[in-house]
Amino acid sequence: MKRRITFILNGEKMDIEVSPGQMLISLIKDDLHLHGTKKGCARGECGACTVIIDGKAVNSCLIPALKVQGSIVETIEGLSTPTRLHPLQQSFIENGAVQCGYCIPGTIMSAKALLDKKPCPTVAEVKMGIAGNICRCTGYVKIEKAILEAAQIISNSI
Amino acid sequence: MKIVGRSVERTDAVAKVTGAGMFITDFSLPGMLFGKTLRSPHSHARIVNIDSTKALALPGVKAVLTHENTPRKRFNTSATMTFTVPNTKPVLDQRIFDDHVRYVGDEVAAVAAVSEEIAEQALKLIQVDYELLPAVYDPLLAMESAALPIHPCREGKNIPGNIVRILYNDIDKGFEKSDVIVEGTFKLPVQKQAQLETQAALANADANGNLTVWSTTQTPHPTKIILSAVFGIANSKIRVLNPPYVGGGFGVRIGCSAKAEPIAAALSLATRKPVKIVYSREEDFIASDTRHGGYVFVRLGAARDGTFQALELKGILNAGAYCSFSVETPGVLGAMGLAVYCIPHANYYGHSVYTNTTPAGAFRGFGNTQAMSAIESAVDMMAAKLGIDALELRLKNIIKVGDPWCLPYPCQSTGLAECIKEGAKRIGWEERGKRITNDPHKRRGIGMGVSTHVSNSWPFCVDYDNAIITMQQDGSMQLAVGVPEIGCGSATTLAQLAAEILGVSFKRISVVQGDTAATPFDIGSHASRTLYAAGTAVLAAAQQLKREILQYAAEEYHISVEKLDIIDGVIKDIKSEGVFVELNEFVWQAHLRNRQFIGIGQTVPGNAPPWQAHFAEIEVDLTTGKIDVLKIVAAHDVGKAVNPQIVEGQIEGGVLMGVGYATTEEIRYDTKGRQQSYNYHNYMLPTAADRPEIEAVIIETCDPSGPLGAKGVGETGTTPTPAAIMNAVYDALGIRFMELPLNQERVYRAIKRLEERV
Repeated sequence: MKRRITFILNGEKMDIEVSPGQMLISLIKDDLHLHGTKKGCARGECGACTVIIDGKAVNSCLIPALKVQGSIVETIEGLSTPTRLHPLQQSFIENGAVQCGYCIPGTIMSAKALLDKKPCPTVAEVKMGIAGNICRCTGYVKIEKAILEAAQIISNSI
Repeated sequence: MKIVGRSVERTDAVAKVTGAGMFITDFSLPGMLFGKTLRSPHSHARIVNIDSTKALALPGVKAVLTHENTPRKRFNTSATMTFTVPNTKPVLDQRIFDDHVRYVGDEVAAVAAVSEEIAEQALKLIQVDYELLPAVYDPLLAMESAALPIHPCREGKNIPGNIVRILYNDIDKGFEKSDVIVEGTFKLPVQKQAQLETQAALANADANGNLTVWSTTQTPHPTKIILSAVFGIANSKIRVLNPPYVGGGFGVRIGCSAKAEPIAAALSLATRKPVKIVYSREEDFIASDTRHGGYVFVRLGAARDGTFQALELKGILNAGAYCSFSVETPGVLGAMGLAVYCIPHANYYGHSVYTNTTPAGAFRGFGNTQAMSAIESAVDMMAAKLGIDALELRLKNIIKVGDPWCLPYPCQSTGLAECIKEGAKRIGWEERGKRITNDPHKRRGIGMGVSTHVSNSWPFCVDYDNAIITMQQDGSMQLAVGVPEIGCGSATTLAQLAAEILGVSFKRISVVQGDTAATPFDIGSHASRTLYAAGTAVLAAAQQLKREILQYAAEEYHISVEKLDIIDGVIKDIKSEGVFVELNEFVWQAHLRNRQFIGIGQTVPGNAPPWQAHFAEIEVDLTTGKIDVLKIVAAHDVGKAVNPQIVEGQIEGGVLMGVGYATTEEIRYDTKGRQQSYNYHNYMLPTAADRPEIEAVIIETCDPSGPLGAKGVGETGTTPTPAAIMNAVYDALGIRFMELPLNQERVYRAIKRLEERV
């Protein structure tokens, strides 16, 4: 039996029917066709499907869609406009933090949740912030550097 | 050079950071069905009976395929076993489905249904009766007379293909000349690529008899040819392409490991609908190729002054249940193992052995990681026995340009000595054995390892490249090349090469790749070859295109062609720097006169050795056995670094993969042949929180065989990392480990044994 829920997605009010067993990742990808969120394990182990719910980075493959009723949800699509990238995205590009790219949207969302709370994180805090996001390409070196640089750029612009 | 050597931003980066880049999991076709695969729960069995009646009766199920209603043609999912060079016989030991299952996870049947849920349900309704057979999991046991043959083999019990023998002068004489001999047998683990996107395929067999397969493959052209052979469909009627992005590869996608492509194609041919298969993470772990585990024996002899005299190397690898790359991997193990040092007497003997475990195949490093883990440990054992510094011993014995060696192509460049010296400086080698911690329960150590590798797979498999650059009417260009972009940055670096030759801005060149319908044959993105090998074809295409343009210009302006060049997008007189015309304008005028410029490059690239020296600093907790890898310095001779930032990224990622191999990663099997680490939570990959500091150092040489001097770098970050860590652990503890990974349990037990003895 489908149920109607309302929530905010990337700043836009959503009013949509979801199935009781449906996970948030399926709502985002299959129903709303936002494909930036990636599926890597479907068990909350890789972080590729990370989105932000009410300021917290979570694995969307573990969250029942029904649970986002009344919440504010952000996905990678909410970060940029067609003409302007988020400083994190810009920094990932400039630092060469992108290789195959499959983990990148989830990692950027984890980083954003961190910077939203801690605008000037330490190296250790950055590491812990993305410890749930597995990347098999980069060795994390340039990813961490990109996040630290983006933090600086964001802080300077405030 | 203007563009080559610069860290320009990757051309695929915006699509990837915004999430707009499409991977196979992201797209669907109208009317698409979902495919699911039934896998064997037994490690070795015959299928006595299989009944799909109930599954077919489930509403929403459109097809159920088993060994009874799919093509029986034998094939090999590995690209190179399909393209063996003349005189080597391919090992074709796989079918889409067989009535004989050989490992837990082997494909038994597949379902196409209108939803994933219904397909899953239908799998449970397929009734299979198995007759269980004795199984064997260790390669040494699988060769014994008591073991059951898993496949018929020519060279010995359960040995796929040929035994590899490399003889280099009389080995016995070498040991006679040796004052000191060290030896050991190393047991190496099974590692998983664990790329972020699982194996997947979407097949569409249309009404006209064409088959299109969107695939995660690293080798679209070979995968097309495999599918063509399996289904008896002409090469020209099959199109294999990437979506365009592929979520990592590391070797597992060279061909169609785990058979998502042939199974999706069979389901689509049966239903005449598009069928998509995306393997679960568990399926990817248990059914797609792994790194070869196994045994490497090494015996090294040296004169008192440290000059190496003899190296005997033997590799017995675990092939798993199907051959895949199990003939080539022991070959590379031996070839690369013997290539690092100048040793007058050397001998290699190696092969794989079938067992009832997940097939082993291509994985970054490809046998070389196994070889160097053992050899570089032995070199340190030798240094200790001789009382010579391990770094000096290496400097004394490494191959130099012009030295004779066992490989069928010359060593035309090496920066290894410089890599060793620069790396040593950055790790603080002179402090080896002297670094102390304030914590009495902890010890520190420094170690090193060196290696070489290939930049290409020639002459070991069929290997040639094509590139086409088509001038567009506005002066922009389209470069078509058959290697896919699996994350290594080839879309960017190949365009950099073309732009350098053509004298235009790199942004003018768009790259079309990873699509058999848009590109001529290319063996694919593997063997650290993408930039090196496809690069030579791109270079040739760019040179031809430039010649065409300048010849036309020479006629137009009545000037000798030698006097013309394209500089910054302008056709100029080289001497006077006099401007004739902007390239854009010239190309448009040519178009109006019915002329388009096209450059075609067709090359059979050679091969060249990249060189690596890695240094590790580690800390061991004596109370827990936990090893913390603190720092890895990775100094690499990459030839010319076309895009240094991309080169660093390749090295850094490879290093961390090597750290995982050395310390935590391992697929283990229980007594029934079931993987005990089949998901990320129980297969321990390094995360950002536990990675060491990684310092990638680029040492540039110029290899005459590579495009503008470039050599391979894709795999080399992994190869010497485990040995550097093993040697650092020896430095810290005085314990020589002969088995990987150096996980907490293994190290703790070794420390306890040592303490009991003292």
